[in-house]
Amino acid sequence: MKLLVTALLLLAPLLRAAESASGAPPAMPPCCAVIAPDAPLSGRSIYQLDSIWTNDAGRVSRLAALRGRPVILAMFFSHCEYACPVLVQDLHRLRAQLPEAVRERAAIVLVSFDTVRDTPAALRAFRERMSLDAGWTLLRGETDAVEDLAMLLGVKFKQDARGQFAHSNLITILNAEGEIVHQHAGLQGDISEAARAVALPLH
Amino acid sequence: MKTPPRLLRSAVLLLLATTSGLPGLTAGEAPVLARPGARPLAANLPVETAVLTEAPAVPPPITRRTPAKVIVNLEVREVVKRLADGVEYTFWTYGGNVPGSCIRVREGDFVEFHLNNHPTSKMPHNIDLHAVTGPGGGAASSFTAPGHTSQFSFTALNPGTYVYHCATAPVPMHIGNGMYGLIIVDPKDGLPPVDREYYVMQGEIYTAGRYGEPGLQNFDPMKAEDERPSYVVLNGSVGALVGDRALQANVGETVRIFFGVGGPNLTSSFHVIGEIFDRVYPEGGSVASQHNVQTTMVPSGGSAVVEFKVEVPGTFILVDHSLSRAFNKGALGMLKVTGPENMLTYSGKEVDAVYIGQASEAGSAASKREAELIARREQAIAANPQIGTITQEIQQERGKKVFLTSCFACHMANGEGLPGVFPPIAGSDFLKADKDRAIKAVIKGLSGPITVNGKPYNNMMPPLEFTDDQVADVLTYVMNEWGNRFGSVSTADVKRVRAENK
Amino acid sequence: MRLSSCLRLGAAALAWIGGALVVARATPAAGVTTGMTLIPTGTYAPLVRSQDETAEVAVPSFWLDAVPVTNAEFLAFVQANPKWRRSAVSPLFADRGYLGDWAGDLELGPLAPPAAPVVRVSWFAARAYAQSMGKRLPTTAEWERAAAAGFAGPAGSTEPGFQSALLAWVTRPTPQPLPNVGSGRPNFFGVRDLHGLVWEWVADFNTAMVTGESRGDTGLERNLFCGAGAAGLRDPSDFPAFMRIGFRSSLRASYAVPNLGFRCARSP
Repeated sequence: MKLLVTALLLLAPLLRAAESASGAPPAMPPCCAVIAPDAPLSGRSIYQLDSIWTNDAGRVSRLAALRGRPVILAMFFSHCEYACPVLVQDLHRLRAQLPEAVRERAAIVLVSFDTVRDTPAALRAFRERMSLDAGWTLLRGETDAVEDLAMLLGVKFKQDARGQFAHSNLITILNAEGEIVHQHAGLQGDISEAARAVALPLH
Repeated sequence: MKTPPRLLRSAVLLLLATTSGLPGLTAGEAPVLARPGARPLAANLPVETAVLTEAPAVPPPITRRTPAKVIVNLEVREVVKRLADGVEYTFWTYGGNVPGSCIRVREGDFVEFHLNNHPTSKMPHNIDLHAVTGPGGGAASSFTAPGHTSQFSFTALNPGTYVYHCATAPVPMHIGNGMYGLIIVDPKDGLPPVDREYYVMQGEIYTAGRYGEPGLQNFDPMKAEDERPSYVVLNGSVGALVGDRALQANVGETVRIFFGVGGPNLTSSFHVIGEIFDRVYPEGGSVASQHNVQTTMVPSGGSAVVEFKVEVPGTFILVDHSLSRAFNKGALGMLKVTGPENMLTYSGKEVDAVYIGQASEAGSAASKREAELIARREQAIAANPQIGTITQEIQQERGKKVFLTSCFACHMANGEGLPGVFPPIAGSDFLKADKDRAIKAVIKGLSGPITVNGKPYNNMMPPLEFTDDQVADVLTYVMNEWGNRFGSVSTADVKRVRAENK
Repeated sequence: MRLSSCLRLGAAALAWIGGALVVARATPAAGVTTGMTLIPTGTYAPLVRSQDETAEVAVPSFWLDAVPVTNAEFLAFVQANPKWRRSAVSPLFADRGYLGDWAGDLELGPLAPPAAPVVRVSWFAARAYAQSMGKRLPTTAEWERAAAAGFAGPAGSTEPGFQSALLAWVTRPTPQPLPNVGSGRPNFFGVRDLHGLVWEWVADFNTAMVTGESRGDTGLERNLFCGAGAAGLRDPSDFPAFMRIGFRSSLRASYAVPNLGFRCARSP
């Protein structure tokens, strides 16, 4: 019985997709969906995390606010001297490979490891330094929130005595439900697989 | 061709599971890391599941002449198994045995590899396949915690015979515990047909106890660092390829051996006593560039393929020709060839006549007198039922184990030796005549010409690193087996002879 | 609530094993540390360290559970916290092996004796348990600091046979069911079973930055991991330490592994 309910829940978005396909022309690319805020989250949605995040404008939100759009997610810190600027370039490349309709809807989210130095102001300075447009969301959170997110994504990180972080270079693609559909490890690699994953239809 | 997105498939699977009432599937079924990877690229290939074989068997040659997608399911299991008679070891295995399951694919095949780490495993494991073109040979992609499974894919670009092994830290320990095997990539048009194919691998084991020390043995990291193995074995244990487990062939057949070395450290000088390799694919490459080879050098983490036609019947011994490994550490196997004799190729012994050389030490007056004294003492011991029977029976049981770990390799399990090469000990006048000489032979070795039952032998027996108890036991065993009734040897005898021959 | 779950635990334990010794561990009120041992301030020498790390890291004093958390204790936790029951847990926070040795949601069964360590718990579940007890998971530095102790002094590596006994355990397959907690000899600090029973979660297991491709890990791959490369290994022959790092780096926080349990810590 429980299985059946779970199955129906999982299939619900499918059914929705089928409706929209048979009805009026779709208003948005297949990667995206209008999801009622109170619709139950899938069991594998990372939006089950209810931690609080602050963006570089000082606005507070939960990750679930991203629901309904594909998300390109990476963890970083603004004092990073080597990998993070390269990671940002990789994300630019990834974004450039997206079909235009998807590119407009997809969110690029950078979450900082550095709970101390990466204040909203520091994130704002990073945005300016790296010329990141409104498609980019920069977030900071408290230690527990950062740790939880890193654990869920499988990102390894470690702070050294100088306050710098050693960390995995991992780009995670979330679908509109907040489920991990692809992860890309390493820098300056072939990003096309990740780009395809962003454009995948939801379910 | 578009494959359905993974999540759609799992939703459909879930529905099927529900409607058909299959238990146990939950939404958590899908892996944490779901990447489409290269799978769509191989979507048009026919799919088959690889046949995996336990050594010395080799999967059948690939007869396909077009590429396929081959699914390999390899399970890592940590198991306690026999290392030698009376000696056990916790082996870390690919497929439950050492060496790991033999894998065979064809050049150009797309291989979807699943590494399953059994839930009872203590350790995470992974696999580096030398047949993979890519970083680490798959090691990082296949790093798997106990009770988990990993998947990665590769295309077998190069034909050849490749070693695979675990690359998890500490690597020498993972390999030293048995985590190695071979993956054969047949060339596009296949290898030339032969009558028999076998799979043999050499590896070292670094046990805390010395060779033959009974019981469950632990890994010794210092011996591994120093590259001082207690065992060097073919196919995972002492005696894995002897007796009724020997390789088999008929006279006139061509045999191909895929020979690999897992290591972790030693290079093998692979040799088959009494045979010449007609063709060798050196270092496991795809060209049989060498002909008429006696001994082929096989590096650690490498392989060689040898082919030879067996012309005459008999037992042919496979060895690492760094011979202490063969005779003292276990690197020895057998190929038994049956069929009609070919006297022109090999005659057997034709002449056996007296040759007057130097008087052998064995015949000296002192020795004879000592032998008489010993015989008298043995009679005295034999006359005492307590010493003569009970002690001796215990000794014989222990001695049998010692014999089956080392001595049988030359003297054979039936004690008859090899005519003209290794003297018999069953019914041996030489053994019967002089107990101290026998003790000395075991602890110090014996070389030079001797005469046993009227036949001359001139060979070398290496000194054996047995404890005094083991020497006494094994001699008491051979002196009372196969109809021998030559008395017994005590630990005190061995200590005395050792002191005399310092 | 907590008191009643403790009472239930006691009753369950008695029902299960009929009066045999169960390591009792009351829920700590402020300042009370029943079942915990104070590990004094000391140092920890990481096996792998980065260029700007010192050879020894200071570890301030902390309390550590004297034994790993048992099945009975974890049962009391899931009774009080339904969202951590096997049938209810989110797949995001525990994979499908979660509590897989238990006979049911609230039933231990023959593979999970009440006094044996609980295994097949995810990092998330272990942390939730610790938080419910007013504790936390120990850090790598804390765990390694406590586990470096021998039986006679704070440096086990200097005691004959200590390292080889650790290695012997690693090379034995996991028995089923697992032995009870507390059966090991207490170490210098009075802590038991840090070695020789199960692997244990640490709070920051994801700082073990190896790729699983151990031959490349000696100089951390800059491509995969940002930051300083490793300055080298403290002692390449410390195989057990190597294996703990290897084990931790093979994990993700949702994994429920058959021989991986945990114990809790708290700051003084």
